[in-house]
Amino acid sequence: MRDWHPAVAAAEPSQKAERDPAAPLFGGVYRERFERILGRYPTKRAALLPVLHLAQEVRGWLAPETMTRVAELLDLTPAQVRAVASFYTMFNLKPVGSYLVQVCTNIACDLCGAGKVLERFLSETGTEPGAISADGRYTVVETECLGACGFATAVLINDRFYESVTPENVPALLAELP
Amino acid sequence: MTQPAAELVTVTIDGIAVQVPKAMTVIQAAEEAGIVIPRYCYHPAMSSPAQCRMCLVEVKGAPKLVPSCVQRVQDGMEVRTDSPAARKARRAVIEFLLVNHPLDCPICDAAGQCELQDYAFETGQLRTRSVDPKRVLGRDHVTPDVLYFADRCVLCTRCVRFMEEIAREPTLVVVQRGDRATIDTMAGELFEHPFSMNIVDVCPVGALVNEDFLFKPRAWDLDRFPSVCPGCAQGCNITLDTKENRVVRAKPRPHPEVNAFWMCDHGRKLLAGWVPGGERGERLEAPQIRDGDRLVAVSWPQALERAAEGLRQAGGPGRAIVSAAAANESLYALRKVMQALGFAGGAFRVPTGPTAVLEGFPKLQLRAERVPNAVGAALLGFRRSADLFADLRGRRGALLVLGDPLHDAPADFGRDAAFYLYAGSVASPAARNAHVLLPVTTFAEMDGTFTNFEGRVQRFTQALTPPGMARPAWVALSALSSRMGSGAMLDSAAEAFAALAAEFEPFRGMTYETLGFGGRITEAAEGAAAVTSGGK
Repeated sequence: MRDWHPAVAAAEPSQKAERDPAAPLFGGVYRERFERILGRYPTKRAALLPVLHLAQEVRGWLAPETMTRVAELLDLTPAQVRAVASFYTMFNLKPVGSYLVQVCTNIACDLCGAGKVLERFLSETGTEPGAISADGRYTVVETECLGACGFATAVLINDRFYESVTPENVPALLAELP
Repeated sequence: MTQPAAELVTVTIDGIAVQVPKAMTVIQAAEEAGIVIPRYCYHPAMSSPAQCRMCLVEVKGAPKLVPSCVQRVQDGMEVRTDSPAARKARRAVIEFLLVNHPLDCPICDAAGQCELQDYAFETGQLRTRSVDPKRVLGRDHVTPDVLYFADRCVLCTRCVRFMEEIAREPTLVVVQRGDRATIDTMAGELFEHPFSMNIVDVCPVGALVNEDFLFKPRAWDLDRFPSVCPGCAQGCNITLDTKENRVVRAKPRPHPEVNAFWMCDHGRKLLAGWVPGGERGERLEAPQIRDGDRLVAVSWPQALERAAEGLRQAGGPGRAIVSAAAANESLYALRKVMQALGFAGGAFRVPTGPTAVLEGFPKLQLRAERVPNAVGAALLGFRRSADLFADLRGRRGALLVLGDPLHDAPADFGRDAAFYLYAGSVASPAARNAHVLLPVTTFAEMDGTFTNFEGRVQRFTQALTPPGMARPAWVALSALSSRMGSGAMLDSAAEAFAALAAEFEPFRGMTYETLGFGGRITEAAEGAAAVTSGGK
């Protein structure tokens, strides 16, 4: 294991997301989590953001049907759900691979060679930006500032941060993913 | 109107001192002073998000400019809407709004009635300082009738708030963000709502346009006439926008107690394209008299002479059918003819349709009764009938018909009458059975009044030139009744209404002048209706 910056030590290990675009919203343990989220807010509408995150966790992305289902659950119109889902870049409005690799190309990372890192990720995974690799494992995208300007280049793979990524350590980093 | 004494404060706006209630915002107080502060997101009927920043004004003592749409007035406040700082701020807002705006005014429906055009002309700059190409988003339907031109949108969200706060069906939203932000529905879906076209009215620019109106007339070619919608018993205050003797669209005319700022799509669709002649192409344009099996076009004096003579000879108990879409004045004039003949019985029918309520202003409804003047007809002594033709069967004597097009009447309608006079605008088969046909105007071609569901008498004005020899029914029928010795020949709608008001108790004391364009509630209905103020 590489010596990552201590800040990432507490982060969850990257997991290969088991997502099912047809999974029910919400069943089993997710139903419990959904109920818990609702309990945190005075109105159902207020729970929209965390519920969208939960829906994305279950299904991998927010299809129109998913948004419509969330609207039903929260007594909103589908349009209102779309308004919020389309505002935030953390919601995937189209399918992504098992690993969503987000490379920061904001100013600090860019000055430190983020462009090259991005290129390396794309060539290693054999994809275009935003596309899903042939094996379904990867989607590589550019992202705005991840808040780690002191450790450029910052990369986010699913829920885990990687700092000081260089083009050279991209292959090893990908190889570590289960 | 004396409310429980609202506390008044004095504010000075651009040097003009006004006394206004304490609850007012600066933008409203400025209107009292006759100053219209530029605005996009502010709309008097909806919440103010203060997001367009167009209404920023300078308030003496405030560290920075304040949005006048949310700033409440305070006693002694000094506001400048035209100070260098306020002008500079507006100029900057306009410059930002124009960064991606296509400036396609020459092909834009809103040109000539566009607040962006006006303010850009007033405060904007000749050339953009942006060197990047404009982003292009295109256009799409949001409802089957309304198109959204995303590139023209200033994202004021008035339409979003209309759907959320007034229609209470939040189907329009802002999607995406930054320079990709647009107004949209759920992806790929159109929405339908019985009041949906109001989003076109609230749009301050040319982003939301009515497809029916698109690329047809230019705003500056239109003549506008205050009118009342004949689509149902609600009596929405409207303007008829006309061009070349055709109604090209109807727009709501604000009335705080009848329709606020709104009207329904049913009314708009009914009126858009309203032409003298009607869709059936069987408009009655000249007086006609029966000559055996034929109808012969004649002059007005000839027709009236024949009608007076025929009615006098008919004798016996007469009967009358009126349309509840006829004006009070016309119904009154028919009453005078009936008085000359010595009978009082007349009936009208009320076509019905599904209702729709505007949730955010529930007093405004598309009423089930799809005629504008059923209450007026009842107040003038006509009886509402569930089955007009069954009621008439087997009765002889004179038959008078006013306005009802009789499209569904039996083929032999009126054949049993001793004399059948038809005064209407449509020469339907049943109308052609008449002995004399008098061509009368539709509501759009005359001055008159309707009495709405709550008994509010409201004026409408002539917007179109009547076709051929058609005249308002009150003109034709008062000419007829005066020939028959009942009542005088009426010279104007105002005079007809004054005569009506003198004779019929519920209308007592009303004149066109006292009605104004806010209307007044009849005494008969006054007890029933909670709100009685006459509007403006």
